[in-house]
Amino acid sequence: MSDTPVDAVRPRPARSFLRRWLYPAAVIVAIAGVIWWIESRDSGGGVSPTGERYGTVDLPASLLIDGLGIGVEPGDMAPDFLLQNMAGEEERLSDYRGQPVVLNFWATWCAPCRKEMPQFVRAYDDYQDEGLVIIAVNQQESESIIQPFVEDYGVQFPVLIDRDGEVGEEFRTNGYPETFFIDGDGIVREHFIGPFESSDRGENVQGAIGQTELESKIAGILAPSGEPR
Amino acid sequence: MTAGNTASEGAPARGWTRTLGLINPLRAVWWLFTNVRFAILLLVLLASVSLIGVLVAQMPGNVRGDAQLEADWLAEKEGVYGILTEPMNTLGLFDIFHAGWFTLLLAVTVVSTGAYVVSRFPGVWAAITRPRKRVPDRYFDLTPHRVQVAEEIDSALLTGALRRSRYRVERWKEGEATFLFADRFQFAMLGTLLTHTAVIVFILAAVVSRVDAFSAELFLAEGASLPVFAESNANQMQVQLLDAYGEFAPDGQPLDYRTDIAIYSGGEEVHRCSSTVNTPCQFEGYRFYQVAYFGFGAQLAVREAASGNLVYRETLALAMRSPAPRVLVSDSAGQPLLDETVVLPDTLEVNGEPLDGAVVRLDDGRALTLLLPERASDDDELLVLDLAEGGDSLRLFPGETAKSAGLSITYQSLDQVPTGFVLDLPLPQDVGGGEGTVSLQLSNVVYGTDTTSEGTSVEAPASGQPELTITGLSPQAVTLEEGTSRAIGEYEYTFERQSEFSGIDVRRDRSDYLVWVGAAAIVVGLMITFWVPRRRLWAKITPAGSSLAGQAAGPSDYTSELRKLASQAGADLQEEPEEDD
Repeated sequence: MSDTPVDAVRPRPARSFLRRWLYPAAVIVAIAGVIWWIESRDSGGGVSPTGERYGTVDLPASLLIDGLGIGVEPGDMAPDFLLQNMAGEEERLSDYRGQPVVLNFWATWCAPCRKEMPQFVRAYDDYQDEGLVIIAVNQQESESIIQPFVEDYGVQFPVLIDRDGEVGEEFRTNGYPETFFIDGDGIVREHFIGPFESSDRGENVQGAIGQTELESKIAGILAPSGEPR
Repeated sequence: MTAGNTASEGAPARGWTRTLGLINPLRAVWWLFTNVRFAILLLVLLASVSLIGVLVAQMPGNVRGDAQLEADWLAEKEGVYGILTEPMNTLGLFDIFHAGWFTLLLAVTVVSTGAYVVSRFPGVWAAITRPRKRVPDRYFDLTPHRVQVAEEIDSALLTGALRRSRYRVERWKEGEATFLFADRFQFAMLGTLLTHTAVIVFILAAVVSRVDAFSAELFLAEGASLPVFAESNANQMQVQLLDAYGEFAPDGQPLDYRTDIAIYSGGEEVHRCSSTVNTPCQFEGYRFYQVAYFGFGAQLAVREAASGNLVYRETLALAMRSPAPRVLVSDSAGQPLLDETVVLPDTLEVNGEPLDGAVVRLDDGRALTLLLPERASDDDELLVLDLAEGGDSLRLFPGETAKSAGLSITYQSLDQVPTGFVLDLPLPQDVGGGEGTVSLQLSNVVYGTDTTSEGTSVEAPASGQPELTITGLSPQAVTLEEGTSRAIGEYEYTFERQSEFSGIDVRRDRSDYLVWVGAAAIVVGLMITFWVPRRRLWAKITPAGSSLAGQAAGPSDYTSELRKLASQAGADLQEEPEEDD
């Protein structure tokens, strides 16, 4: 039998390896890549005027102490960070080396943070002449929200903005407020979770003047190096 | 050229050979998942279980996960399901849509439907792209749609007629015979697969929703902000409530709720919008629905008198109610001296009965003492003592008027004023030792008035600016008008303003997109399947006679179409068409 095709019918070539496996795999990888990109996008902590990225930074080698690791547990050297203050200037924790630092993580929406803030304001008034530095690291809020709060509460100490929460994460904060007491050598002496209650007054050694818990912890980092803390 | 599969080579294995083949576990799983009966069984099971989930009461979200609440809820259900309650709970019938086996059922259905689509696709694709163009002669005698004539029709005319009807035509000669193959809209075979794919997408959407959906409820006062995520998140967002709006009809029915919000991220305001119950504000895939409104908030601030520094500022939701008499007092000339709802902040005991009371000063300087029993109702009398004139005391029920000492006193109604307690308000050292509990009562506000929102008043009109009465700050209750302050001890207390609250439900459910894709796929798939007239035609034309056979998707009178085509190709078809088999 002789077939005379009027309209030719061409057999299709077999699917090549590319069509069968590589193209679908490429599509799947592309979709996964797009999903990863969307998920991994973050607002970022911004970049300082000097071009340095805000967030955690390496502690300068000259400030390291032999035998001490960097961490947030008592006895560790506190991690360094670079953040912007309310005036738009950049500040590092290591700028305050030599001074005892109270490092408070807070937010305006956090009611316990609001409640304890007047204690920090009073403590700063009382102890700044002794070299105490209080740094309030706001967690991811806008300046337009923080500024009225700072003015109303009469906050005079540095308020830094941790825009992407990286510094809070580095200090392993689980909630707010959390406060670290860091001595003049940059060593974490205490980590306090939760708000300081102004009504929790113990007694000082003389048993005369009541001292708040915050004040007693501040006294711990004000003690000169070498003395028992 | 021979037509049809005449050899058994390549045919599916039967009997014991197939059984042996299924011993291979992978092949057995593949066979199971591509089995139509199994797929139907799964779908029926899924539908039945879902129906049970609709008919049997499901455990509410706020109960789930709390052992005590769950036990209480189940105890309540024992009244309905009796001894079946425990077994039903063990089977997860009270929480079907969160049960592990339900998720497993969904997953198996997805895999099965997916396997079905995958297994059928090559065959369907081959049928579309490489259709069988030659059928055996017996097919022309047996197929339901056929036309046979004892004459040679014009193949060129037939080709032309088919092409005018949008057929794709191939024609070739074999000896004296001319063969034609024509088809139309073969892509419509994909419609069924598209519908199946839609089922997969729908189920995937349910899985994505369960795994990926996010929901958080924020309850905010005007001016306040709250973070969206409870835990630290590099993409954290804050929602600030700019304005809450409630509008009410005169009979108290809510007409409209709306909330204006600002969204912050990375320390910047990134979006500003209005949100309602049905039209949420949207940002970055998150939807912000208004889900609650509360009109009675008091923004209270406390400053250190010496430094002027703020030590306390909160907007307090006054969610309780306390009775307060609305009283009209006029002098002998009918001149009103008092016309307002009087808050009763003081408590005292008379003959062993606890009373709430207040001393109110009239416009003419005189003072009255008003007393009501604690938790008074409309059945209780208002006791009025006229201290200034030494007149008789009066006892009035709501709506009654009496005269004493030249005053006409009307107890118009018993209102309820918003009330709340604050546990941690800074107090002067000589009052509470620095901190203690005070009560707040907000008067001259009515839900939905101009002062509360922009709506129409629901209850009695306010008789002036909102007033906040604070009890516990000093021996006497302190009443502050909106925007006023009072220095007490080392602090200055300011009632900044009455404020509203909104509940904002933040949701993200990326399965929405899948649902849309699935819905589009199922609609398109069904439309293609039912409405696209897919046709396939074979013809054999010889000098001795001509035969046309065809296949049509769905119910249709394709035989008539074939007769018409044959006529256009020159066939003489006068007689009635023969009956289809």
